[in-house]
Amino acid sequence: MASLFKRRRSKATQTERVRERRHEGFLRYANFRWAKISGGLCLLIIVSYALIDVTPRHNGGSWYGYTLGTIGAGLILWLTALGYRKRKMTSDYWSLKAWTSAHVYLGLSLVVIGTWHTGFQLGWNVHTLAWVLMMLVILSGLYGVIVYATLPAALSNNRDEMTQMQMLEAIRAFDRQLHSAAQPLTPEDTAPVLAALDEDPFAGGIGARLSGRYPRCATSAALVALSTSRSSEAEAREKVIGLLKQKEAALARLRQHLRIRALLEVWLYVHVPLTFALIAALSAHIISVFFYW
Amino acid sequence: MSFILRRISTTKTGKQIVRDQALPGDAITLGREGSNIIHIADLAVNPHHATITSADGRHVRVQASEGLGFYINGRTVDAADIDSAAGAELRFGGHRLTIAREDEMIILLVERIDELSQSSKDVDEAKAFSLAGVMPGKRLGAWTFAILMLLAFLVGPIWAWQSFRNVDERPEGYHADKAWMSGPLSSAHASLKNDCQSCHVEPFVAVTDKACVGCHTGEHKAMSMAHANAPTAMLLAARHPPGVGERILAGFAKTFNKPQGRCVECHTEHEGAGPMLATPQKFCADCHDGMSARLLKAGFKPAVADAADFGTIHPEFRPMVRPAPGAKPIRAVTGKGALTDFDGLKFPHDLHLQATGGVARMAASFRGRYDFGKKLECENCHRPEADGVRIKPVQMERDCAMCHSLAFETVGGVTRTLRHGEPDQVVADLTAYYRSTPPSRPLQLGGMERRRPGDYAQGQVYNIYFREVAVRPNRAEDAVRAVFSKGGACYDCHTVYAPQAGNGWTVQAVDQTSRFLTKGWFDHDAHKETKCADCHTMATGSKVATDLLIPGLRQCRDCHVGENGARLVKVETATESPCAMCHEYHSDGGKPWMPARQRKVNSAAITNKPLRAIYGVSLVTGSPGRGLYDVTWRTPALHGAERGG
Repeated sequence: MASLFKRRRSKATQTERVRERRHEGFLRYANFRWAKISGGLCLLIIVSYALIDVTPRHNGGSWYGYTLGTIGAGLILWLTALGYRKRKMTSDYWSLKAWTSAHVYLGLSLVVIGTWHTGFQLGWNVHTLAWVLMMLVILSGLYGVIVYATLPAALSNNRDEMTQMQMLEAIRAFDRQLHSAAQPLTPEDTAPVLAALDEDPFAGGIGARLSGRYPRCATSAALVALSTSRSSEAEAREKVIGLLKQKEAALARLRQHLRIRALLEVWLYVHVPLTFALIAALSAHIISVFFYW
Repeated sequence: MSFILRRISTTKTGKQIVRDQALPGDAITLGREGSNIIHIADLAVNPHHATITSADGRHVRVQASEGLGFYINGRTVDAADIDSAAGAELRFGGHRLTIAREDEMIILLVERIDELSQSSKDVDEAKAFSLAGVMPGKRLGAWTFAILMLLAFLVGPIWAWQSFRNVDERPEGYHADKAWMSGPLSSAHASLKNDCQSCHVEPFVAVTDKACVGCHTGEHKAMSMAHANAPTAMLLAARHPPGVGERILAGFAKTFNKPQGRCVECHTEHEGAGPMLATPQKFCADCHDGMSARLLKAGFKPAVADAADFGTIHPEFRPMVRPAPGAKPIRAVTGKGALTDFDGLKFPHDLHLQATGGVARMAASFRGRYDFGKKLECENCHRPEADGVRIKPVQMERDCAMCHSLAFETVGGVTRTLRHGEPDQVVADLTAYYRSTPPSRPLQLGGMERRRPGDYAQGQVYNIYFREVAVRPNRAEDAVRAVFSKGGACYDCHTVYAPQAGNGWTVQAVDQTSRFLTKGWFDHDAHKETKCADCHTMATGSKVATDLLIPGLRQCRDCHVGENGARLVKVETATESPCAMCHEYHSDGGKPWMPARQRKVNSAAITNKPLRAIYGVSLVTGSPGRGLYDVTWRTPALHGAERGG
């Protein structure tokens, strides 16, 4: 008996190893198990919606609508629980990867469950509001899945085996060198260098982070100013210009890093708050239905 | 020798080492350039920034030299006089110059206080490199949005309901519970769009019938007559066994207190603006589909056949017919050959509808005088009621007399006619006519010519005339007999009974049925585009008036299919027909409710315009206004028929 369990466990370990080797992510977890379950569920709903003839017509108030609505509301609460689950370390069943895989695919199936629950009756009311919020949450999640699948490679390429702090440290080093190299310069020339030193590499709002464009970059401005200036000694100026170019490159790498990270993270700022807005609207939707029964 | 420059350096262990250095001269220069006595490697400091002097070894004067000043006590100045005993802190760029006095000496302490550059500042890696530094927190957003949603769409609506719960009509303006409206109200209830409380009276209580009859005081006092009289057990037995879905629905209804059988179950609201939808056929078919078997099983005798969908399962029509002359109307039994209905008239439809022949030629000869074409059409004799729904009973003066004239004499340009509908009067009129008028005089009897004897002999002119005069009153009886007998004016159309003991000539009463299909509602007006013969297919071939020419299910199914388009035969232009298109549940005599958009749009084909010569006919046949010819409609045989089925 004991050997039986042992064998089973060793087989499970072996499977796990294969998965590790293939670097099986949450999308292809267990050979797309949750994608299949979710797809089957959607197909079942679409087909049965067409086949079942409810009285008087399809909407949230038919028995079919009630069923889909109940499934959908339960699913929304369960999907929200990912936020709780990921903060909780467990070692037994339901690995976080499995949970995330189910979260993604069942969340996508909610498009069908929720929309078919409405019976395609939409209007300007709390019921449609809940549907719209649900769709926004799902779309933001879909965006998240896409960027998680595509952007990490770009992030890694840009990093060039540097850590974040190493990128910052490089800028600090150029700043120090700039500071000493700029000492012989005239006050007109030191002003732009000083501005470049004063520039916060993390400055800029969400727009700059997402676009990666910093039109008022002091380092670039200093580079332009010093290239055209004739006031200081040429040799000292050339040295400063060289350092500024190097700093600019380091800054660009950091900024690209920040941009990719922003693109990777920004959907959560929609996904999470709107999830809670959705749960509130969903509560209002359900209570309103029974209140004005 | 009164200035001492003090430098403080910090070891790795955090220990501070203070080194003092006496500065030469009374004027100490300070700047970025190496030639200065105090050299500050700070790009924010000018090459020759300031000069520090002291006249008395105690008071210090600091004078900026190249335009850039320095900070003292938060202000930028170009020069400052400082008592070194009191001390002061000055800022040059990122450096601080502290002036103090120790042992009669002026101590100048220079320290870098600002970071070399912004990037050199300490950062929180987790925050700086993520979006957390530039976005408000997710938790904050979650709470804000959730609370806003609850306020706007839960608290607000409940507040609105609470504020107006016993109000008949709310004031204009926005009411928060309108956000709960699942769809626009139908046009009949559009005025209630602000007044949720008029139907949703109590919270968590499904809309009650009481809320409906609060306004609808006149209508639908009872359920349908057919259903109201049925025992409850029978009604329950008629229902089809619930499927999975209906059990789910019933479960919801039971759990959340939603009773069944309320007005709103058929009359669904919030289904979109425009007229309220007709009741879907499912509400009927739930019971009537396969009902007879269920009723038989439960020990009841089914009175109606199964009906599930007009296109596929619907019993053949059973029109009201008179099986024998003068008999009471009964519901026809279908499937036993052609149906007959004795209305008391003789009327060969085929003869009248022929394209050629005597009737057609006569009609053609009347073109211009009446609205006849080259031949007679159905609508020349059958005219719709004012509302267009049914066809008026045929009226002799209006519908037959154009051709079938009863005129028998012209007096001074006025035609005298026999009185239709009064056989005794006809007899009297004819008798009086023959008594009061002499035979027409032969021409030979006129003039002043002398007549010779012998003319009175038999066969002569005089004899012809005077013998006629002598026997003329007796001719009346012959004329009367002729009128009522074969070939006579009455006999052609009516069943005439010869005089019996104590009775004169009698004509069988005519019974025209105003509505053959009493359980359903057929609207001729809605079928204006269709030719009569398209449905009344047997009319052109009918030789006797007893043929029932009411169309059967087959003809209807040429166009009408089930609610969802189900059909058994090929249909070119399908009209989807739920039960409620023809059947009225509440039996209150009205038209079944069906919004106009669900009916077909028609263009006028049969019109009810008055005939051009109708008044002319009235002149000929006498005014019909005496009510002599008003047809007495049959009393409906069934209780429910009176109320429309």
